[in-house]
Amino acid sequence: MRTWRWISAFAVLVLVLAACGTQGGASASASATGGGAESTEASASEEASAAPSEGGSGEPVSGGTLAFAGARLAASLDPSQTSDGESFRILQQIYEPLVDLAPGTVDELVGVLAESWEGGPEDTEYVFTLREGVMFHDGTPFNAEAVKANFDRWQNFPEELQANAYYYGATMNGFGEGNLIESVEATDETTVTITLTEASPTFLFAITLPSFAIVSPAVLESTNADDPTESTLGTDVTAGGTGPFKLESYTPEEEATLARNDDYWGDVAYLDRVIIRPIADPSARLQALQGGSVQGFDLVKPSDYETIQGEEGLVLVERLSFNSLYLGLNPTAAETEGNPLAELAVREAVEYAIDKEALIEPFYGGRGSVADTFLPPSSGWHDSVLAGVEVREFDADRARELLEEAGFGPENPPEVSFWFPTEVTRPYMPDPAGLHQAVTQMLEDVGFVVVPNSDIWDSPGYLEDAQNGKYDMHFLGWTGDYDDPSNWYGVHFGFDAEGAAATQFGCETEGLNDAIVAAEAELDPTARGEAWGEVAGLIHGDVCFITLVHGDTALAFTEDVQGYGANPTGSETFSTVWLTNGGE
Amino acid sequence: MGKFILRRILLLIPILLGLSVLIFLFIRLLPGDPAGAILGERATPENIARVRAALGLDLPLHEQYFDYLFGLFRGDLGRSFLTNRDVVDDFLQRFPATIELTLSAMVIALAFGIPLGLITAKRRGSWVDQFGTVISLVGISIPIFFLGLMLKYVFAIEFPILPDSGRIDFVEYSIPKVTRFMTVDTLLAGELGGFVDAVRHLILPGIALGTIPLAIIMRITRASVVDVLNEDYVRTANAKGLPGRVVDSRHVLRNAMLPVVTVIGLQTGLLLGGAILTETIFGWGGVGTWIYDAVRTSDYQVIQSGVLLLAFIFVLVNLLVDVSYAFLNPRIRYS
Repeated sequence: MRTWRWISAFAVLVLVLAACGTQGGASASASATGGGAESTEASASEEASAAPSEGGSGEPVSGGTLAFAGARLAASLDPSQTSDGESFRILQQIYEPLVDLAPGTVDELVGVLAESWEGGPEDTEYVFTLREGVMFHDGTPFNAEAVKANFDRWQNFPEELQANAYYYGATMNGFGEGNLIESVEATDETTVTITLTEASPTFLFAITLPSFAIVSPAVLESTNADDPTESTLGTDVTAGGTGPFKLESYTPEEEATLARNDDYWGDVAYLDRVIIRPIADPSARLQALQGGSVQGFDLVKPSDYETIQGEEGLVLVERLSFNSLYLGLNPTAAETEGNPLAELAVREAVEYAIDKEALIEPFYGGRGSVADTFLPPSSGWHDSVLAGVEVREFDADRARELLEEAGFGPENPPEVSFWFPTEVTRPYMPDPAGLHQAVTQMLEDVGFVVVPNSDIWDSPGYLEDAQNGKYDMHFLGWTGDYDDPSNWYGVHFGFDAEGAAATQFGCETEGLNDAIVAAEAELDPTARGEAWGEVAGLIHGDVCFITLVHGDTALAFTEDVQGYGANPTGSETFSTVWLTNGGE
Repeated sequence: MGKFILRRILLLIPILLGLSVLIFLFIRLLPGDPAGAILGERATPENIARVRAALGLDLPLHEQYFDYLFGLFRGDLGRSFLTNRDVVDDFLQRFPATIELTLSAMVIALAFGIPLGLITAKRRGSWVDQFGTVISLVGISIPIFFLGLMLKYVFAIEFPILPDSGRIDFVEYSIPKVTRFMTVDTLLAGELGGFVDAVRHLILPGIALGTIPLAIIMRITRASVVDVLNEDYVRTANAKGLPGRVVDSRHVLRNAMLPVVTVIGLQTGLLLGGAILTETIFGWGGVGTWIYDAVRTSDYQVIQSGVLLLAFIFVLVNLLVDVSYAFLNPRIRYS
């Protein structure tokens, strides 16, 4: 009997604990932090009016704490050492670049730490006039010397720090002398002159990336930022930023707490605090939202869109695509004897056979768009590139005709080996196996025989073999870094030092190299658009590269969260976010 | 006794050396490449070569291993490829969370496992026994991720009486991290409400993680008690007319506990390294989520050092179990 008493006593204890503070579990927005923040200027409501959360009304109010879940926290707290969205999410609240993308756009620049600038795509010299009166969170002033210190630091990174400084290396043509940066001069307190070794139409867009945020020189020094083993800039809470939030506490496995910077040079944020929590599993993130322990999360699984839309009190916030899923065809791959893809008509038949629209509903939760070009509709270059492309819309009969013309029929069907990656999901490829199955079905419907194959994503297997042109046909995709066709077509079809990028697709398209070289060199925006349109026309015309879908992504919030402005590139700030109850 | 302990400690050295070789090689045999994981679609051969060189992965395998080994002797377990954080620092920051979760699971397992084992043993063949057998079978066979998601669905979402994830409500409580044991830190900060909140956060993951040890402890207890119940001294005690309670506590349980203590020790060791699923489902910032992330990103340095540290703790717990066992049962020492 005694044992039963023990069990019941324990059960009672559990129930009592469960009952304690139930309201805390049900409503995480019941913040204990005091409000009392001054109301901010009405101008900030401009961005907030792009409030994605429906049902909210009235003027933004200050106060409250937002708990938000991402897949993980930052890889490093040193902006230059990061290149992934999860790190950017946190760092772009704290640190700021000279220029940034205007809210909601991928192709409009606005000054942030730079008030204005002279210099454009055709110039090698950029003169930035810096914002006056900006202070770093550590109380030191932001000035031209600070900008110079950061640019010099990046260029002179020791080898160990180059490994994770992906964006600097990729956009500035490597490190050290001889890269894109000729010199950076602090002309006076508020003027910085950056001289490039050659004109670069992408320079301004590159420095909008959070990796190019300016860190307080005093903090760089006190954290030994350039010593790969001693540096604490990437690991410790510092006050090195200028952004609308300061980092208050950071436990990499548990939380990043951002507190409002009341001395911010621009519109002060509404929220008192933002707490970002890492929850790796997307289903667990949704449960955290439903259970009330967070009020928002990113990277919703497309299969959960319906659940969220159907649940009272939850809102889905769409982020337009800045990516593209494509099918790579390689007629020179020796996988299949007498590779049928060697015939242009067969490759065309592949594109005609695929009903791209039909992939969007089941795999992207209905959110995405058909990819007629590599660049998504959110890109400022989309229209001019599309103008150069001859679009092949889904037409199964046309596909069958083309196969017949090429000499294939039911007796001798064209056989292709078709690869997909495993152990990975990407915004453009939420379910690789499912997409593979669907496309296989479409190809078989018009008479192809498809041999399915797969390999693990980041083993040297899939990525390397795909990029080295080992597969007849494969899925891959791309998420853009910044809005310029060179970051899309250029990366995949231009030649790098080893000629590697071009081996992925087997077509030897006549005139393509010259067209790419000409397009890369074209600096006038209109002519540049046309030049890249020509490149795209050649590439899509030869059909070794079939773009399929631009997949939108989504965030989810409780309905009391207002003012989150989603951006295709993920360049998003919490400073425009407010809670309808002001955290009361 | 001292000799016995010394011998066991010396044995640790070859065990750990062997482990370090195994882990080192296993990781490199597994598919996945840190450079590929870091770069993703951007993994052109040129980029991969640059990152591999910066991470020292272009060196021959034996050089990489000896570099690692010399590091180990200096107490340097390396830095994460991805975050450049010191692996030992990261481990120490996260381990308290894992210990806390493990203890919570063990408390639940013991609080239910031992009484249930005793009851089912005493009522062999009755419906209580049958029910207990079913429970233990379910406990062993139900996948943790399923149980975890179900527990959350029922107790955090449908009937929101417990929190769904995390270690404390960070919105409500800002607790300075002193010991990194949330229950201890809340008390140190004088936050009684925070302490209750931290304990509430421990319940669901504790149950999810505790079911397997609960079932095992229950079965071992049952088997062991059944054995002891058949012993002459129990019959004698009963015949002497001692009250049942006294017989149970003084004669039955005390003698039946020896195998159970061993199982408790082993299970605790296992749980310390086996909480990966539970931690991931419950967004628990412990060693489990850390290693899970490292495996996903092929962060070799974290995997090899993290797993080695866990293995070290596992053999250490084992050693403690053996020592305590030898202490409890003198026959062991001479075998």
